Amino acid sequence: MSLEDIRNKVLGIADQTVKYARDLKVPSAEIFVIEQSTTSLTDNKGKVDSRDGIIQGIGIRAAIGKQLGFASSTGFEDETLKSTLQAAYNIAKVSPENPMFNGFVAETKTAKEGILDSNILNLEADDLIEKCNIMNQEVDLSDKRIISGSFGSNISHTGYAIGTTEGCLASSLTTSFSANSYFVVTEAGDRKTAGDFINSREIKSVEGIAPRALNKALSSLGSKAFGGSEVLPTVWEAREAASFLAFAFFNVFSGTTYVEKSNPWSDKLNEQVASKELTVIDDGQKPDTQACHAIDSEGTPKQTTTIIKEGILQTFLFNKMYGEVAGFATTGNAQRGGPMGGAAPYESTPSVGFNQILVEEVAKNLNEQIAEMDRGILITGTPIGLFTANPVTGDFSVTCNDTFLIENGEKVHPLKSVSIAGNYFETLNNIRFIGNDREPSGWPIDTPSMTFTGHTISD
Amino acid sequence: MEKDYVFDLLQKAVEKGQKLGGEFIEARYDDLQETTINLTNEMVKQSSSLHRKGIGVMAYYNGTPGYSFTPELSKESIEEATIRAVKLAKSTDNRNTIKLDFDEIPSVKDKIDAKLKKHPRDFEFGEKLELLKRGVGSIKEEIEPTTTTGLYGESYGEKYFVNSEGSEIFWVPIVVDLRMISVIIKDGQQATAFEGTGASKGFEFFEMKGSSPEEVGKLSGKTCKEALDAVAAPAGKTTTLVSPQMGGVVVHESFGHLSESDFVVTGQSPLSDRVGEQLGSDHVSIYDEGITEYGGYYLPYDDQGIKTGKTVLLEDGILKGYLHNRGTAKKMNAEMTGNSRAINFLFNPIVRMKNTYFGKGDLTFEEAVEQVGTGVYAVDMSGGQVGLDGNFMFNCSKGYLIENGEITKPIKNTALSGNILELLKHVQGATKEIKIKTGYFGGCGKNGQNGLAVGYGGPNVIMGQVLVGGAQ
Repeated sequence: MSLEDIRNKVLGIADQTVKYARDLKVPSAEIFVIEQSTTSLTDNKGKVDSRDGIIQGIGIRAAIGKQLGFASSTGFEDETLKSTLQAAYNIAKVSPENPMFNGFVAETKTAKEGILDSNILNLEADDLIEKCNIMNQEVDLSDKRIISGSFGSNISHTGYAIGTTEGCLASSLTTSFSANSYFVVTEAGDRKTAGDFINSREIKSVEGIAPRALNKALSSLGSKAFGGSEVLPTVWEAREAASFLAFAFFNVFSGTTYVEKSNPWSDKLNEQVASKELTVIDDGQKPDTQACHAIDSEGTPKQTTTIIKEGILQTFLFNKMYGEVAGFATTGNAQRGGPMGGAAPYESTPSVGFNQILVEEVAKNLNEQIAEMDRGILITGTPIGLFTANPVTGDFSVTCNDTFLIENGEKVHPLKSVSIAGNYFETLNNIRFIGNDREPSGWPIDTPSMTFTGHTISD
Repeated sequence: MEKDYVFDLLQKAVEKGQKLGGEFIEARYDDLQETTINLTNEMVKQSSSLHRKGIGVMAYYNGTPGYSFTPELSKESIEEATIRAVKLAKSTDNRNTIKLDFDEIPSVKDKIDAKLKKHPRDFEFGEKLELLKRGVGSIKEEIEPTTTTGLYGESYGEKYFVNSEGSEIFWVPIVVDLRMISVIIKDGQQATAFEGTGASKGFEFFEMKGSSPEEVGKLSGKTCKEALDAVAAPAGKTTTLVSPQMGGVVVHESFGHLSESDFVVTGQSPLSDRVGEQLGSDHVSIYDEGITEYGGYYLPYDDQGIKTGKTVLLEDGILKGYLHNRGTAKKMNAEMTGNSRAINFLFNPIVRMKNTYFGKGDLTFEEAVEQVGTGVYAVDMSGGQVGLDGNFMFNCSKGYLIENGEITKPIKNTALSGNILELLKHVQGATKEIKIKTGYFGGCGKNGQNGLAVGYGGPNVIMGQVLVGGAQ
């Protein structure tokens, strides 16, 4: 089956279910249809697990005026489509009105698709084994400091479609290839971990992944206690800066929290919220990212939205309903499966989520930022506890096992676990450097390496 | 769907897999239904009716597994999935160096129907929504909230399992859940309260003492009101009395996962090769059990058809064993523990927990508070994160100061962190009464299989040297 066959299949099911909705005299309905074929392989220190299969699901919203019902099911059998539609309709009948709801997407309008690599459809488990072999051969697992090394690879191709009784019938496709390696190492009682990966819409070389992961883990051994508490600048590797800022941006970029009046930036539109070097966009049209699609998950064309320009807040992110309530247009950010991904997409209604948040590059790579630091901390791993940040005040206190002490522009030694405390909103105004080395992070946000001031480091 | 029809289809997968050279085949059919309602500010923000059904086939070849799934319950689809599963097992065997084969055991034929007084499928959506409205009404009797959220969740269905040994198992998983969340935003500060829980019971659960919407809503309002006046917890290493709920999460997240044998057999867990070692104080024991006398999640069989029992992980501080699937049990010469679980048919079973809890002590609650003297009583949490090295951080969302042997003021949200292997050495005692919780919301996440229903709990446990992060 080709990618276009998959597109035609999901479009056909969406169209057929819209017809069933009309037959059933459901006043208004939105049908989300998705099919994904996936194959994955993991090798944890020689313990190999493999899995493949086809995920098929539908999620249906039925509306009677402003009364909404939602139901979902696996499988595409006719009986399933009809019973799911009936279940959604039954729920709508007994649900109170949602005063914010103002109808489903009514027209078929699409943006650009991302990169599609049809060669992914020809890959099988044997090819994933070969990818793991390549990663494995690049590292010396006989090094006694290695407790365990793991390798993994995954391929998938996905098609989804939206059909509405109002007249929208649109679809989008994705291909995905990923590979990863992860190591646990120890020496003299010190235990460290590190991983590396690629996540692409095309088949890519896996060379270099395992050596980078292993070198990172080994270089963190020999850690020493920080010893005390001190306010210092922190410089974050690009991927770690992304994970750090994801939690800062999650609440304040949301059009949902703006409408629900729980967004601390609700009254900051067109005001300075960050250092003037900071420009942040949400990009649903960058063709090499997983977020790039012709439509979002309620049928609106994806787009590119500038959220912060030179430190000034420009807008929030919206889906159709929240955008219209707020007096803005949708920004093409309807997302199913949770704002940060996760649950099966057909099992949830569209919420507001990130496409691909991109912090624009400025200058100075990581090493140049380190070179300009008299005394500070380099963060090389994702801290534990980012989720505990207070969404209203912005206060955070996290623990990080992967840091280095910086003195006189050089890495001195790795540190044992330290806590890093500060305030997200102050941090955004205390940006010393934004790097020029942005890279894919694995999060729905990519940033260059960054340096902040004003964080309290303690152990 | 007729049980015999499903068993016949699954049996065909076993026969086909064996013909193709699969040395052992397991086939299962999951048919699960879920209903969720989110009532925010008295508006249905989200509701859903979910139906997940499909077949998974696991084939083993030379101790190497391969798993394939299909959402279609037809002979052709099951055959196709079986062919793929056997092919995966064979094609990955050369690379697989940790062979997890297992010995044959007597077949099991068991059909366990649900014995629910009030099955949730017999209640209309509107009646479930009414539960939430009653709970929200009770919140408002206590406070004037900025936001109220009521969450209802239920999951039930049927699980079928067959294997090459001739086992045929049918059972009915169930969990219902009700949560009440209150938020007050005032003067730039936010007070939030999460209350409620679930059970492997029918709708009658919401008529039981402590579980009615009115009681849960009232408690949520009361907790939120208290949080407005909360004080900062003293930062630093503090003696902490952890509630059954909080302790249950700590023991699940930070110790339970380390005891999962897939992490142990690959050497990733710091508990590897340490059975028999004194890891904790004499006051600490940890168990994992399928069906407990204390409540929690009802799990009679795992997804390899193994009857669950009580697994002793830690007893009087000494590591006694790990959580196993059939393959790791044989490899480590241990008893099978019934811990091979998959969240649904889309996933292969992996080693997961059942109901994990601290063992009881001999203190009354009052004696425990008095023994703490000065410290923190950590009651509930919202979110946590752990590492495979035993490091953890949990956000204590509800807690109190203990001063001069008495519970005094509520404390603000604070992070509790440490390393579980260090912490176990500082367990100083526990109360006599065990409580185990479970629920639809939350659940356990591992390897992309998130939200698996588990139970967690214990008595109130006194832990020294817990790092309290201070106020936020």
